[in-house]
Amino acid sequence: MLRHLFKLIWNRKRNNLLLVSEIFFSFVVLFGVGTLLLTFAKYYLEPHGFDYEQVWRLEIRAGQNETMPRAQLDDVLRQVKALPGIQQVALTSGNVPFIFNSNTSAFSYQGRKSGQSNIYDADDHYAQVMKLHLREGRWFAKTDDGSHHRPVVISQNLREELFGNGPALGKIFTWIEPGPNPDPADEFQVTGVVDDVRMENDFGPAVPSLWKRLIPFDTTRWETANVVVRVAPGEGGELQEKIARTVAGVTRQWTTMVRVMDEDRLHKRRYTIVPVAGLALISVFLIVNVALGLFGVLWYNISQRRAEIGLRRAMGATGPDIIRQFLGEMLVVTTFGVLLGGLLAVQFPLLNAFELAPKFYLAGIGVAAVAVYCITALCAFYPSRQAAGIHPAVALREE
Amino acid sequence: MNSSTASATSTAAPLARPATWQPVIELRGIEKVYQTKTIETVALNHVNLIIHKGEFVSVMGPSGCGKSTLLSIMGLLDEPTAGVVEIEGRAMQSYSDRELAALRNHKIGFVFQSYHLINDLSVLDNVELPLLYRPGVNGRQRRELAHTALDKVGLSSRTTHFPSQLSGGQRQRVAIARALAGRPELILADEPTGNLDSVMGEEIMELLLTLNREEGTTIVMVTHDEHMARRTERLIRFFDGSQVS
Repeated sequence: MLRHLFKLIWNRKRNNLLLVSEIFFSFVVLFGVGTLLLTFAKYYLEPHGFDYEQVWRLEIRAGQNETMPRAQLDDVLRQVKALPGIQQVALTSGNVPFIFNSNTSAFSYQGRKSGQSNIYDADDHYAQVMKLHLREGRWFAKTDDGSHHRPVVISQNLREELFGNGPALGKIFTWIEPGPNPDPADEFQVTGVVDDVRMENDFGPAVPSLWKRLIPFDTTRWETANVVVRVAPGEGGELQEKIARTVAGVTRQWTTMVRVMDEDRLHKRRYTIVPVAGLALISVFLIVNVALGLFGVLWYNISQRRAEIGLRRAMGATGPDIIRQFLGEMLVVTTFGVLLGGLLAVQFPLLNAFELAPKFYLAGIGVAAVAVYCITALCAFYPSRQAAGIHPAVALREE
Repeated sequence: MNSSTASATSTAAPLARPATWQPVIELRGIEKVYQTKTIETVALNHVNLIIHKGEFVSVMGPSGCGKSTLLSIMGLLDEPTAGVVEIEGRAMQSYSDRELAALRNHKIGFVFQSYHLINDLSVLDNVELPLLYRPGVNGRQRRELAHTALDKVGLSSRTTHFPSQLSGGQRQRVAIARALAGRPELILADEPTGNLDSVMGEEIMELLLTLNREEGTTIVMVTHDEHMARRTERLIRFFDGSQVS
């Protein structure tokens, strides 16, 4: 029977071309949206690798044409830390988690090269504020003051890229193109390895990351100091006001903006979700249109093929045989569309497009295929049942 | 035809059953009424008929007298409003839908005036069609049976052609081959020469006669052609839904 169906569809290929192309485009759209949503869902369920709850971000600005002397900055940090409800304070770079600011580069170790990695500056208290989980070694400490090379802590995935299964602690690596005589400050010595972190957004992958030890010997050229603080649970607006007053108490020219990291996360999430939701909505609209189109075409086909239905009944087909015939034809047409779409979709993992793991694309192909088959089967079922209900004697009298 | 215009009861009694003849299908007191909201149309009125194995019966009558309805009921495609259709010693009404489909598939072959070939299938695939619905027949057996049937109608050289590439007479031969492919006991032919010119009509009639004589196939043929009808063993005439001779 399957052979018969394939033969019938193939011989009616011109009539079925529109259906096949509709199914092909539906498959491609579902594949794209499905892959994206699966990727997002997968990352969303993964741990962030740090604790953003009860963490605030302070952006301290020195003001126009103002300097930020080290002594004053230390005073600010000391006084903020002394406030009741503040658990820890750390200086960091501007690319704090969940904001639209990034600093990336690649590294090299004895010929092995890493991919693009996030680079953060962090002082000795940063790991405590962010609750990073150390897998090997230690975080920065006073003992690193005399280090000849720049002490760094790296994430597990960067460690794997640079050192594979070999030891990482104490190893020295450089930027990807260090030049003939690199400055010792551009040579990085691994003091610790932490769990992978996802600091960009809820739906992003764990990007290889590196924390350089921040030693603000001279901050006079700084315009902005980025500070992360861990606060006690339940702290809110009152403490934020106190922080602002504390900074203003040290120097009136400096201003402070206090943001809750969890709110930054939610803000970034909205920016990521809105275009995806729009795309999903458009694809749903498209799929509904395709479904209605298929439904209409099938109705039309059945009305055009009433005599054939009568003939098949006369030849010994039962009502369920007729349902199977029309459902089968629709599924064969779907198979042609899905095969064409699959041929296109499989190019994405083969070409390593968007540097996404092949498993996401393969899952996307699977989801799109199942969805397309379900949609076409649903659309074909009712007209097929109607076809099965056509009285053979009546159908045979029609031409 | 309206009930008011339909003729009265049939005068024809069931045929006497010769001892050596087995009935293929028996119709007793068959009535068929088509009912709409405003009109009641009597298509068949108390028809009694036995078709014996190996017979070639022709059914004649003016348009609208119920010939095609009779054939639909004999072919188990339609149910009578009243009366009994008996096949294999059992009333049609006692068969399930699935059993009726199986009976149509195994026992009955249909030939239609307008051929009813599927234009998107080759000649061979068209002839294979009834065998698709027969469990236990594989692809190879289907092709063998279809080739044998096409041989009988002299179209074995046209297996890969499509219906649109054939003449009217050749199309009707394909339809006959399709009816024969499943080796049915009974062939029901509804005006098989109605769409053909006299030469092609003669060709088809010869084929049916040969099948009846040489293969012993039972044939019931509806026709408007007196000349064709007279060449069959038995002629039944219908008028306004009733059997008149």
